[in-house]
Amino acid sequence: MRRCKLQIILPVVAGLTLLSACGQNAETDGVSGAASVELANGMTVKEQIEARQSHLKKIGKAFKTISDQLKASSPDLAQIQAAAASVPKEATGMAGWFPEGTGPESGVKTDALPIIWEEKADFEDKVAAMQEAAVKLDTVAQGGDVAAIGAAFKTTGGTCKACHDKFREDD
Amino acid sequence: MTSEASRILVWDGAVRLVHWLMVVLVPLLWWTAEEGHMDWHRSFGLTMFGLVLFRLIWGLIGTWTARFAPMVRRIGSLKAYVGELRSREHGASFGHSPLASLSVFALLLVLATQVTTGLFSVDVDGLESGPLAVLVSFEAGRQFADIHELNFNLLALLIGLHITAIAFYHFVLKEKLVGPMITGRRARAAFSDSPLPENGTRPLAMLGAAVLSLACVLAVLNFG
Repeated sequence: MRRCKLQIILPVVAGLTLLSACGQNAETDGVSGAASVELANGMTVKEQIEARQSHLKKIGKAFKTISDQLKASSPDLAQIQAAAASVPKEATGMAGWFPEGTGPESGVKTDALPIIWEEKADFEDKVAAMQEAAVKLDTVAQGGDVAAIGAAFKTTGGTCKACHDKFREDD
Repeated sequence: MTSEASRILVWDGAVRLVHWLMVVLVPLLWWTAEEGHMDWHRSFGLTMFGLVLFRLIWGLIGTWTARFAPMVRRIGSLKAYVGELRSREHGASFGHSPLASLSVFALLLVLATQVTTGLFSVDVDGLESGPLAVLVSFEAGRQFADIHELNFNLLALLIGLHITAIAFYHFVLKEKLVGPMITGRRARAAFSDSPLPENGTRPLAMLGAAVLSLACVLAVLNFG
């Protein structure tokens, strides 16, 4: 009886071990393979994805600063102005952050959807709209009119949303 | 003999109102978040914050069936109660049964976590945020938002369990629990003959709890 059980268990365990090993290999190979491909700009796919995420995160941080101050009863203009000035800088070259091969198919964790490369022209239009709005936001912010800043901030946020709704995985 | 005297008050008006407002608000909160109507989400969320706060205060100073201390004591007889349920011999509990007491604590804990994390949450773009997110960094706000999203699954699970339990009592144990949560009353004969705890309404305490929670909501609303 005991031998009979062992005869079943051993191959099953061996099989499972093999399977999991295969799975791991396939996965790590897949990721590191595509992720380490060097792009035309000299960066690897992984570096490119991480670089754009870092830029976008800095923009998110700047937006939070502006949004926090706009909600305050007495907004700190200096904070708004510094944050607004950083956005066009962080957004420079944005369309170039998405070369072919840096989508989810690379295996690197990214919310960028494949439709970016299927509808590249629309994507680039939306990025340009954001950059334009960010420059305006910066100009308005340096002017110091809180109501106008609020309006420009809303417009800029709208351009982010327009692109994200279509080209980014739902959060 | 279903005269008014034989039907006694189990759930006071505040407990029922808070309960049914939450029933309306949870789906609305879910939907507004899914659809990105964040202004509405914030308003409904702040309302929910006030309701949870009121219910927590009411659990300390409210009517007997609303208070937490008797529920904690009830949990002591959980094992016996589950045994009675299994043998289909359970008697109706005045107020929360031992099992229901556990459910109340779990639901309130998850609801309190949900409204608290919501106050500090920041969306991935830094464009939308809870009314107290000013107090935390972008990264911390993102973590609050992550917990807010995960915890909602827990809330949905507990609500599913709650509805399943009500259905189980209704169809299997033949005990109708929805009616009393609407009218507040139940036949005295449903409970054992032994004297029931004093469960009189407490208008002054109710007013105090309402004013206190409303003050907290207004404080959050006008923060900054």
